[in-house]
Amino acid sequence: MKEAVILAAEEGVNPLVPNIWEIAVTLIGFAILMYIVAKKVVPAFEKTYAERAEAIEGGIAKAEAAQAEASAALDEYKQQLLDARTEANRIREDARAEGAQILAELKDKAAAEANRISEQAQVQIAAERQAAVTSLRSEVGVLATELAGKIVGESLNDDARSARVVDRFLADLEASAPASQNAGASN
Amino acid sequence: MIALARPAAANEGGFVPPTLEDMHLPEILPWAAEYGTGFGKQMLLVLLSVALISWFFLAASRRGQLVPGKLQHLGEMSYNFVRNSVGKDIIGERDYRPFVPLLFSLFFFILVNNFFGSVPLLQIPTPSHVGTAYALAGIVYITWIVLGLKKHGIGYFKLAVVPAGVPKAILPLIVIIEIISTFLVRPVTHSLRLFATMLAGHLIIMLSAAGSEFLLMDADFWFKPLGVLTIAGGVAMYFFEILIQVLQAYVFVLLTAIYIQGSLAEEH
Amino acid sequence: MEGNINLVGYGLSAIGGAIGVGLVFAAYINGVARQPEAQRVLQPIAFLGLALTEALAILGLVFAFVL
Repeated sequence: MKEAVILAAEEGVNPLVPNIWEIAVTLIGFAILMYIVAKKVVPAFEKTYAERAEAIEGGIAKAEAAQAEASAALDEYKQQLLDARTEANRIREDARAEGAQILAELKDKAAAEANRISEQAQVQIAAERQAAVTSLRSEVGVLATELAGKIVGESLNDDARSARVVDRFLADLEASAPASQNAGASN
Repeated sequence: MIALARPAAANEGGFVPPTLEDMHLPEILPWAAEYGTGFGKQMLLVLLSVALISWFFLAASRRGQLVPGKLQHLGEMSYNFVRNSVGKDIIGERDYRPFVPLLFSLFFFILVNNFFGSVPLLQIPTPSHVGTAYALAGIVYITWIVLGLKKHGIGYFKLAVVPAGVPKAILPLIVIIEIISTFLVRPVTHSLRLFATMLAGHLIIMLSAAGSEFLLMDADFWFKPLGVLTIAGGVAMYFFEILIQVLQAYVFVLLTAIYIQGSLAEEH
Repeated sequence: MEGNINLVGYGLSAIGGAIGVGLVFAAYINGVARQPEAQRVLQPIAFLGLALTEALAILGLVFAFVL
C-alpha cells in the first residue's frame, strides 16, 4: 500500500485524482442518456400513464352515464305505468257513470210510458163509463115506462095492491130523484 | 487483472495483495497517453451502459399499451420506483415532474455502472474510478445551486447558510459550519461515497480472489483448505457487493432528490 | 510487513462514522416502527443524517489518501 501511495504521488495513480478523460466521457455519456430519457422515455411513460388514467376515469364516467340513463328510463316507465293505470281507472269510472245514466234514463222513460198508459186507460174507462151512464139514462125512461105499463095493465084487477104499488113507486121516485141526480154528477 | 492472474509468479512464494494499480487497466487506445490515459475499459463501459439503458427503456416504453406486457411492465415498475418513491415522495407532489428525467437517468446510470462490477468479464464498477463519481456529483451540485438561485435569487445563499432560530451569539460559528457542510462537504461526500464503496467492494473481491488463488495454487499443502474458506468468503462478499451497488445507487439518487428539495424549499 | 499507517488511522476514524450511521438508522427504524405513516417524513431526514454522518468517514478517507 505504501508503494502504491508513493507510486500514486509519482505517477498520478492516487485514486482521488480524477482522470479528466473519464470525467469527459461520463459527462458526454450521461448527457446522451439524459437527452434520450427526457425526450423519449419519460414522455412515453407519462403518456401511457395519462392514457391509462383517462381510460379508467372515462370508463367510470361512461358507466355512471349509463346508470343515469337506465334510472331515467326506469322512471319514465314507472310514470307511464302510472299514467296508464290512471287512464284505465278514469275510463272505468266514466263507463260506470255512463251506465248509471243510461239506466236512469231508461227508468225515467219506462215510468213515463207506464204513466202514459195508465192515464190513457183511465181516460178510456171514464169515457166508457160516461157512455154507459148515458145509455142507461136513455134506457131507464123506456124501462120505467114499460114497467109502469106492465104494472098498470095487471093491477087493474087488484085495487088494493095497485094502490100500494103506486104509492111506493111515487115515494121511491120522490126519494131517488135527488139521489140519481147525485149519482150522475159523481160519475 | 493481468497482474492478478499469477501474482505469485513474479514473487518467490510470498503473497502479493492486489493494489490500487490493478484498478487501472491497460488502455485499449492509448491516444492521449501523454495526458495520463487513453481510451480504457472504464470509458468503454460507461458508453456501453448508456447504450444498454437507452435500448432497454426505449424498447419498454415504445408501445405504451394500457395493459402492459412483460417488458413494458418491468420498465414501468423501474420508472415508477424512481418517479414516485424518490421524486414524488421527497421533492413533493407540486414540483417533482421536471426532475424525473434527471433522477431516472442518474439512478439507472449508476445502477448499471455499479452492476458492471459484478458481471463476469466486465468485472469493474465504473464509479470505482473517481472521475465518473466526480462528474455525476458535479452535475447534481450545479443543478441544485442553479435551482436555488433561480427560485430565491441571490438571497438563496443566505437562506442556505443561515438557519432560522439560532441564537445570535453562535450564529457566526453556525454559518461557517453551514457553508463548509453545504457547499464544500456535500458534493465531496456525494461523489466519494459512491466512489469509495465501489472501489472498496471491488478491492475486497479482488483480494479474496487473489488470496484464494494463492492459497490453492502456491501455498503449503496444509494451508490449501483455507483457500476454500476464502472462496466462500469471496462469494459472500460478491453478493454483499451486489446489495451495496443497488443501495448506493438508491442513496445517491435519494440524496440528489433531497438536495433539490432543499434548494426549492422556502425555509432551509 | 508493509503498509501505510494512514490507513490504520482511517480505520479508527471510521468507527465514529459507523456508530453515527448506526444511531441515525436506529432512530429512523424506531420512528417508523412506532408510526409507520411517518415514514415519508422521516426518510429524507434519516438519509440527510446519514449523509452528514458519513461525511466524516469520507473525509477521513480523503485525508488517508492525501496526507
